[in-house]
Amino acid sequence: MAKTLMIVDDSATMRKIIMRTVRMSGLDFESTEEAGNGVEALEKLDSAPVDIMLCDVNMPEMNGPDLVKKVRELSSCENTKIIMVSTESSKELIDSVMADGANGFITKPFTPEKFQEKLSPFMN
Amino acid sequence: MIEDICLSDILLESAKEIFETMIFMDLAEVTEPDQDIEGDALLGSITFRGSLEGCLSICCGTSCAQSIARNMLGIDADDELTEEDTCDAIGEVANMVMGSVKKRMADNFGDLQVSIPSVVSGKELKNNLGDIAKKVSTRINIEDEYVSELSLLYRENQK
Repeated sequence: MAKTLMIVDDSATMRKIIMRTVRMSGLDFESTEEAGNGVEALEKLDSAPVDIMLCDVNMPEMNGPDLVKKVRELSSCENTKIIMVSTESSKELIDSVMADGANGFITKPFTPEKFQEKLSPFMN
Repeated sequence: MIEDICLSDILLESAKEIFETMIFMDLAEVTEPDQDIEGDALLGSITFRGSLEGCLSICCGTSCAQSIARNMLGIDADDELTEEDTCDAIGEVANMVMGSVKKRMADNFGDLQVSIPSVVSGKELKNNLGDIAKKVSTRINIEDEYVSELSLLYRENQK
């Protein structure tokens, strides 16, 4: 069964780049949602949970780490896999956000192969 | 400690990495001193703090910024490109270059916290952090067509 995807990033340019890179990775999604920050993402997830969420770290309104905590409180999103996508790469941040419930971390700059590697385990 | 590392090399290497892998444009250091950014320009900046604090910026002419945005978005020269798209793209360039710089400086300065990028437009744009800040800048040539400037204003945090 095809999966659903949400891309959360405050940069519309980066959301498009991520979308293009996901397509180049060969991964196929039934539908793709976009959100510009954590608050907008939560509103959309409330009405329509997704299978995989690609989430930036630094965002206005609600940042990525706070969004991860909020999503993990939603019973409707207990199966949602969260992959962080960011220029941030400190071990402390990665460990912290993974402990809070993220399922993976992709650092920029990224390649289609990196998305393939990180997302494939959650596509079946 | 700051004297031990070459920040201009770090800036250039970081920008090359981002332009080659995420923007798909060639980039080289400008060696001719008379090449300059003329006319309307965009300045994308991002601040950082930690043991070192300051601001990283990229300044480029409007046509250069539009070309970068088109490449990032994967759209043709004939397709519509809004000012918002262009500003967003330049902000994201500053963000990604800063991420790469930060990674390369981590051994010397630990983890630096970065802000959300901002972009302004105008002529003869310059950043300033006061007299005690030092500045490293490097001119780059993008696609052998556009001259842009990368700069890093910084000061060591005494706290």
